[in-house]
Amino acid sequence: MKGKQIQSKDKHIHQLAAIVANTRSILYKKEDLLAYDCDGFTIHKHLPKAVVFPKNTKEVAELVRYCCQNELPFLARGAGTGLSGGAIPLNGEVIISLVKMKNLISVDLENRRAVVEPGFVNLKLTNSISDKGYYYAPDPSSQSCCTIGGNVAENAGGAHCLKYGVTTNHILGLEVVVPTGEIIEIGDNGIPDAPGYDLLGLITGSEGTLGIVTKITVRILKNPEAKQTVLAYFDDVTDGSQAVSAIISAGIIPAALEMMDKTAIEGVEAAAFPVGHPKNIAAVLLIEVDGISAGIEEQINQILSVCRQFNVRDVKVAQDEQERSRWWANRKTGFGAMGAISPDYLVQDGVIPRSKLPEVLERINQISEHSGLRIANIFHAGDGNLHPLILFDAKIPGETEKALEAGSACLQACAEVGGTITGEHGVGIEKREEMRFVFNEEEIAAQTTIRSVFNPVNLLNAGKLFPSPGKCVEIKMEKKAAIL
Amino acid sequence: MTQSAVKSSPACAETSLSNYFAKDHPDEKKWDDCVHCGMCLESCPTYEITGQEQHSPRGRVHLIKSVAEGKIALNESFSDPVFACLDCRACTTACPADVDVGGLIEEARGQIRQAMPLKGWKGNVSKLFLQGLFPHENRLNTVGSLIRFYQKSGLQTTIRKTGMMKVMPKHLVEMEAIMPKVNKPVRKKYKKDQVLKAKGESKAEVAFMTGCIMDVMFSEINEATINVLRRNGNDVTIPEKQTCCGALHVHAGDRETGKKLAKQNIAAFETSEKIILNSAGCGCMMKEYKELFKDDQEWYDRAEAFSAKVEDISKYLYDTGYEIPKSELNTKITYHDACHLAHGQGVREQPRDILLHIPGVEMIHMPNADRCCGSAGIYNITNPEMAGEVLESKMANVPEDVEMISMGNPGCMLQMAMGVKKYGKNQKVVHTVQLLDWAYQKEDQEAKQ
Repeated sequence: MKGKQIQSKDKHIHQLAAIVANTRSILYKKEDLLAYDCDGFTIHKHLPKAVVFPKNTKEVAELVRYCCQNELPFLARGAGTGLSGGAIPLNGEVIISLVKMKNLISVDLENRRAVVEPGFVNLKLTNSISDKGYYYAPDPSSQSCCTIGGNVAENAGGAHCLKYGVTTNHILGLEVVVPTGEIIEIGDNGIPDAPGYDLLGLITGSEGTLGIVTKITVRILKNPEAKQTVLAYFDDVTDGSQAVSAIISAGIIPAALEMMDKTAIEGVEAAAFPVGHPKNIAAVLLIEVDGISAGIEEQINQILSVCRQFNVRDVKVAQDEQERSRWWANRKTGFGAMGAISPDYLVQDGVIPRSKLPEVLERINQISEHSGLRIANIFHAGDGNLHPLILFDAKIPGETEKALEAGSACLQACAEVGGTITGEHGVGIEKREEMRFVFNEEEIAAQTTIRSVFNPVNLLNAGKLFPSPGKCVEIKMEKKAAIL
Repeated sequence: MTQSAVKSSPACAETSLSNYFAKDHPDEKKWDDCVHCGMCLESCPTYEITGQEQHSPRGRVHLIKSVAEGKIALNESFSDPVFACLDCRACTTACPADVDVGGLIEEARGQIRQAMPLKGWKGNVSKLFLQGLFPHENRLNTVGSLIRFYQKSGLQTTIRKTGMMKVMPKHLVEMEAIMPKVNKPVRKKYKKDQVLKAKGESKAEVAFMTGCIMDVMFSEINEATINVLRRNGNDVTIPEKQTCCGALHVHAGDRETGKKLAKQNIAAFETSEKIILNSAGCGCMMKEYKELFKDDQEWYDRAEAFSAKVEDISKYLYDTGYEIPKSELNTKITYHDACHLAHGQGVREQPRDILLHIPGVEMIHMPNADRCCGSAGIYNITNPEMAGEVLESKMANVPEDVEMISMGNPGCMLQMAMGVKKYGKNQKVVHTVQLLDWAYQKEDQEAKQ
């Protein structure tokens, strides 16, 4: 809590501190910066030049302008829970942390929208409006701590996106500081589908490479009248996977349809929120349906009968809200829970057509055997979004590389069956090279051209999202980073 | 994936580069569980206030690991985030992988104090309290008597009138203002009694750990605890050799004194079957004694056996059964979870259940009841500014219309009383067991009439 005066010889540090007008709103000492050398993706680490904490859009714009004028690379960061390394300062960036901009600016129930600052935590929005019967639908597993600004950058998904869509389906307007320091507003008063190009869609999921979002208008939804949650245990993964397809083929759109395999179950049961899943089962499905009360019972019965058709060992319906939340806590803390059975993990994020689930799971199994690393599978089975968690120990020489290879092989398997390499975690640093599995050189060049329209000098979050640099500026920066 | 980037990862064990001292250093196994997911962030009061990740649980774990990897030294900039931690353990509750952040923080503090002993004013004050006062029953009693004299003689009133308070730092003035009325410690009072017999048939014998500050500053709570235990069929002993639990020492990085005190308590309670206390901070420490003896198998085993016997009064009553009072108290209250009870020992429902079963008690839910109040041992003395901010958000959550705030820890009681005074509220701050005792007393009085 010290540091009343800036103790640095670097003039930029003094200037940046002057913009945020508070010596406590900037970090520049190595010990403090270390906490920012990675995000939820821990394989790459790099120290930022500084971390600044602006309080409003004006300060963000000034910081951006200063960085531009002085050719300082910079990037935006929220809670730093991203899983693909989007907030890692690869080039020794100035990190513009938006966590102090964490206000809920307004709630407009009549028009079902809310305006938040980017540092506002996802779950806090639902908590602030739930007493009035409303909620914010996108629910990434990290929703208790991740920020809505970060959700916009990554176009975050979540367990309930099967029915309700991902972040982009819930964004009605954005205020953005573009890389030149200009402030622009997209989305007219939160009215959806404005004429012209869909810039909201372009910015959402651009992984912090097109601008810094400083204000967000989101859609809020009325709580469903009723919901029911089911756990189904299978002795065979293929049976479980086929049940997933069959449920959706039956015409049911569950609010969520989640799956965990044996290794994943071992992890969550060894960790802080066990629910007592049997140890010797091959897969568990967590299925939730919601909507008007009338149809729920019937849907649940249909789901139960589909599960039985596919040799389910045991099914149970949550008896009360308490049981339901326990099941969800168990699932939603699944990634972190891997810490209980492995020192490190690497999570992948492939998407495949649902019908290919058994085939891809078998290939992941082979990849695991080949690499000698255990792979746990936790995934949004309903929309074919796989999360293979590759368990490794970074302290053992060579294991990190092996894990990266195995992760890449999983994504290749997804791409080969007609899927893609990321569903909701973003490309970041992690999947840059894997972009080649789904795009050719020309397609990648077309996308970097779009980036250049917003971010011509590429000082903002350079080196992310796309494979080997298409521009000399980037090559220089990558080299610089490599030397450092 | 560029080669350089892969190499910059901690691909091999770098323990040989460690900047820690060889003995009693932070335990690698503890940070190995942390995968940096960030689920702890919002649980952390200091992260909430600063928004800075070096003041977050995962940031601190990252820094503690970085010292072991030789990336940073045991210096002031490392010490800052480590000592700004409230050690409230809320992160342990939030963590999917059960990372023992509190344990790591305490170990790291031990290392920092070895590398950079406190000097000057701070060093003297810390020495005076931690080594010169808390472990010594007689000296504590003397202080207690002085405070009693200060309060009873009218000196308190005089001093407050003379304006002497104006020259004291603000947070100390605030603390003086809420000093509880000090009575005679139970350890002194019952010195001659071998066993305080149960009222009626005796079902069990329990040993009572009075706590050092608790017994001097809050002896009426100790009195209430003894009453409640005896009323519910427990013979109560107060082993004479017991001493301060050492929590404040361990929190401050003085692990050597902590160990000494732990050994004394382990020996003092060796023949006891059950050890009951009413102070969450002491209870949590005593349940973790073995952490202090990782390099000493004999004491490690003894500590483990000792800890298994330690129980908070509310959990003990809840588990073994107790008499539901028959008289009505007619009051509206709210309950604050002491961190070292809720996060530290997982005791949440039991005290609430006890309160709910007192006739006439209406419980109003306090939002974020398990959020730290900022007391955190002596944190409110060492980090008054941060403690003040933590207290402010705590007080904002106290429901408007309650008459009492109940809790299970003396540190919290002092801090919350300060909050009540500071923010112009008027709730009475009470210990859960006091309310139960009052209900019993009322019942007895009514029976007499």
